[in-house]
Amino acid sequence: MDSTSPQSIVSATDVHRRFGEGDAAVHALDGISVDFPRGRFTAIMGPSGSGKSTLMHVLAGLDRPTSGSVLVDGVEISDLDDKQLTELRRDKVGFVFQFFNLLPVLTAEENIRLPLSIAGRKADPDLMAKLVEAVNLGDRLSHRPAELSGGQQQRVAVARALISQPAVVFADEPTGNLDSTTSEEVLALLRRAVDELGQTVVMVTHDANAAAIADRVLVLVDGKIVRDAEAGSAERVHDLLKQDTVS
Amino acid sequence: MTQVALRNLLARKARTLLTSLAVVLGVMMVTGTYVLTDTIDQSFSQIFEQGNAGIDAVVTSRETVDTNDGQEPSFDAGIFDRVDAVEGVDEASGGIFDPQVSILDKEGEPIGGHGAPSFGASVGPDRFDALTYAEGRKPAGDDEVVIDKQTAGKAGYAVGDRIRVAGKEDAKEYELVGVATLGDVDSFGGASITLLTLDEARRVTRKQGRFDQISVAAAPGVTSEELTRRLKQELPRSVEAQTGSENTQTQKDDVGEFISILKTALLIFSGVSLFVAAFLIFNTFSITVAQRTREFSMLRTIGASRRQLVRTVMVEAAVIGLLASVLGLLAGIGFAPAINALFGALEIDLPSQGSVVATRTIVLAFVLGIGLTVLASLIPALRITRVAPITGLREGAVLETPKSHRLRTVLAAGLTAIGVVAMLLGVFGALSPGELWVGVGAVAVFIGVALLSPRLVGPMASLVGRPVERFRGVSGRLARENAVRNPGRTASTAAALMIGLALVSFVAIFAAGLRNSTTAAFDKTIKADLILTNDDGFSDISAGVNRAVAELDGVEVASPGRFAQANTAGDKGGYLTLVDTQTVGSVMTLDWEQGDDSVLTGLGRADAVIDEKWGREKGLEVGERFKTQTSSGKTLTYTVRGSFVDRADFNGDFVASDVTAAAYGEPNSVSQVLLTLEEGADTGAVREDIDALVKDRYPTVDTKTKVEYKDFISEQVNQLLGVVYALLALAVIVSLFGIVNTLALSIHERTRELGLLRAVGMSRRQVRRVIRYEAVITALIGAVLGSVLGVLFALIMSRPLADEGFTLSIPVLTLIALLVLALVAGVIAAIGPARRASRLDVLDALAYE
Repeated sequence: MDSTSPQSIVSATDVHRRFGEGDAAVHALDGISVDFPRGRFTAIMGPSGSGKSTLMHVLAGLDRPTSGSVLVDGVEISDLDDKQLTELRRDKVGFVFQFFNLLPVLTAEENIRLPLSIAGRKADPDLMAKLVEAVNLGDRLSHRPAELSGGQQQRVAVARALISQPAVVFADEPTGNLDSTTSEEVLALLRRAVDELGQTVVMVTHDANAAAIADRVLVLVDGKIVRDAEAGSAERVHDLLKQDTVS
Repeated sequence: MTQVALRNLLARKARTLLTSLAVVLGVMMVTGTYVLTDTIDQSFSQIFEQGNAGIDAVVTSRETVDTNDGQEPSFDAGIFDRVDAVEGVDEASGGIFDPQVSILDKEGEPIGGHGAPSFGASVGPDRFDALTYAEGRKPAGDDEVVIDKQTAGKAGYAVGDRIRVAGKEDAKEYELVGVATLGDVDSFGGASITLLTLDEARRVTRKQGRFDQISVAAAPGVTSEELTRRLKQELPRSVEAQTGSENTQTQKDDVGEFISILKTALLIFSGVSLFVAAFLIFNTFSITVAQRTREFSMLRTIGASRRQLVRTVMVEAAVIGLLASVLGLLAGIGFAPAINALFGALEIDLPSQGSVVATRTIVLAFVLGIGLTVLASLIPALRITRVAPITGLREGAVLETPKSHRLRTVLAAGLTAIGVVAMLLGVFGALSPGELWVGVGAVAVFIGVALLSPRLVGPMASLVGRPVERFRGVSGRLARENAVRNPGRTASTAAALMIGLALVSFVAIFAAGLRNSTTAAFDKTIKADLILTNDDGFSDISAGVNRAVAELDGVEVASPGRFAQANTAGDKGGYLTLVDTQTVGSVMTLDWEQGDDSVLTGLGRADAVIDEKWGREKGLEVGERFKTQTSSGKTLTYTVRGSFVDRADFNGDFVASDVTAAAYGEPNSVSQVLLTLEEGADTGAVREDIDALVKDRYPTVDTKTKVEYKDFISEQVNQLLGVVYALLALAVIVSLFGIVNTLALSIHERTRELGLLRAVGMSRRQVRRVIRYEAVITALIGAVLGSVLGVLFALIMSRPLADEGFTLSIPVLTLIALLVLALVAGVIAAIGPARRASRLDVLDALAYE
């Protein structure tokens, strides 16, 4: 994890993202500036259509901002070409999806190692051991995703995001498809990654209970950040959201 | 990443197998072709090598005209003394080896003889005798005969039986004194061998005082090359000397030509199957790549490069190709005898013992199987590069099907037009080789129409789908909507079927046209009431037949006709007809361009009337002269006295008087005898007389009325048509696999939707019906496109024949039958997928993610 920017791993400056042209244009992101410091767990919240997913896509280099600048681990990504973006995703970014997105034909363990296989690298045995322990699948490590529960699959997906020791992990509604018990296990795993591995995590969610596990909560409305506060308890997160819907 | 590819294939074994099956059939046909032709080649080689064992040099007449019947003129027996006098000759033996001596079965009909030669040979000294006597002994007297074991078996003859043999002379009865094989080769394909004493062989073949070949053995210390060199020095130009192995090679080359034609024809059909298979591979990969969009985009988000994804798919393709190659190779080895059986049905018997699997065949199977699959999956694989990583984050992401761009339509239409032009230029000979350009053009048309067809799917689905919808309500409606939901997919599935059916309908239309124009031309030129030919329709018959039937009561005129080959005006082995000018006027006329029937009956020994098309080619006008070199080596000069249109090419390049028949090498045989009957003669009675005479003395002769003769021509066209259909059927079967595969993949994709339909009360039966109609609609689109293209191809291919009176007739019934067949095929293809769709568990289907 080499870093040229000591304070923040990801930073956005005056980012705009517009879809469509002219009158029909939608300003999904309307001048967002935000920094994500190293080793912090940030939750991005907001109602549907607030632009929270778009923000994450732009920060992760999956989507290009219409204007503005995005730095990931010191690299300006808004003008990288496809090859460079591929390398960025491979080396600096990890992803956790709402729908797990494991390869059905590979075992859990093979799925965890997949990013390294793609990059043609070997797993750090210590890290692998740690992740295997944290994922807590026991003897099901050699099972295929179809034989695992949703929570187990998502834990595998989290381990997959962590195996390449990325600068930042983006999680897109990671608990959106899980019940409350399994959600907690997955969130706990993300929390441990931040606390024990010093991982930086950015998570999009609309679940206040999920957001409560983060260090910090950003609330987006209409493409603008309207709250940026410490997370605290679920109640407090609820309060943060309420203020927005009222305003 | 390779691991991912392999796991994917393993996880979907059924799909992998189904996908490869299309290629398997194509590869099977290619390897089958090579195994079969190599085997035939090798069997012939064995036969020829056995035949020439113990022979150092062979003297035969010099072949000046490359004839198709393998008949070589005999030469004067006086040559023998000159051979025997050459220094270094240890022993020489002259013999007869004639391809037209038939063995008659117990009913008096010639055995085999359909295209395969029936050899008549004279017995020679032991050292030159290639035959092994399985039973009995050599013929010693003029009423003794030995025949080959295969023919004896076929006819149920045993040593001691009385059997009849017919050559150019009247049929005669012999005692069977032995049964022989050629070394360890039991079968000569369909050929038979009759072994007689030299005198008897000469009498039967009317080659008194002549030899077909002289076998020579060298004295100790003289090599066969040296011996042959000396023979060449001593002998006249009319004969040639070859070493035994050169002679074997010449014989091999002769059959090699035929085998290579056979090979080319079979490879063309294999090519069609492979082409269809390529469509299916393309289609299957397009669908699976689209279905796995989410997987690919996920891989992109976790750092896989485009190149890696493309490579994954290519590895899958290569493995499928490898599997297909292995299966295709094995199947091909098994398929070779099946093709041979197919030719057996055409009464072309070819020797094939064992199966020869050459290294070249194996290499080709793998190159074709893997190369084709990889190539066909290239475009779908490259489509992956358009998968944006972001799509993986959305639910139910499917790769957007490319909108049918205007540019694509223009390109497709352009490609179709270029294809048509290439075909036209090919058939008119503007581009050469014509066959190649016609093929290239046809491929371009197929691809062009396939690219255009997504645009046609909507309207065509309405057309063929509306009736279904009317009668079947919601099932029909859903089926139609499903067919147009992804026009590209339906189009390329239908296109695969289109190719096979286009060729089938083209062949049907073209053959019908050929049949009609041939019979029309026949009606126009033949005045005879009865036609006598060889049983097989093309071998010669004895000239004695003409004299014998001419004397029968009720026969007005009997006129002999000879079809010969000669090197004319620069053409090698061109066909010509020799007629008897005295009688020809009563039995036939010509479609005169210049001249009339009096020119034909007034032909002198140096006069000819020519086919006007050939004349144009050669720039010959009436009054001008041309030269022809006959098979006996003589050169004749003819003056053009008239010209005729020959729509069905009955008469070859020119017609001349038969007073020079001897110069063409066969004074004692004719190709056909045309008869007219006296006014008021009872056709039935006369015919009975002729049949009785013929059965007794000339059993190889067959009598036909005009109607029967036309039926015979049609029958031959139909037989050939049957074989062509059988070979094209494979391409159609391959495309049916395509429909099965596409349906299976579509159902997989629509699992949730099907679950929903079941949840709101659709019965299993209705679900099956939806799938079935979708298959039928797809198949019918393919059939309609195919028929239209078939008509187009027939129009193009018959253009150059149009001025020769080739009239295109569209066999409506055949085309309707084809549509019905496609419909049935669609229903069959839907059986598996429909069953699977109807068995989906409602809850599982809805929960499916």
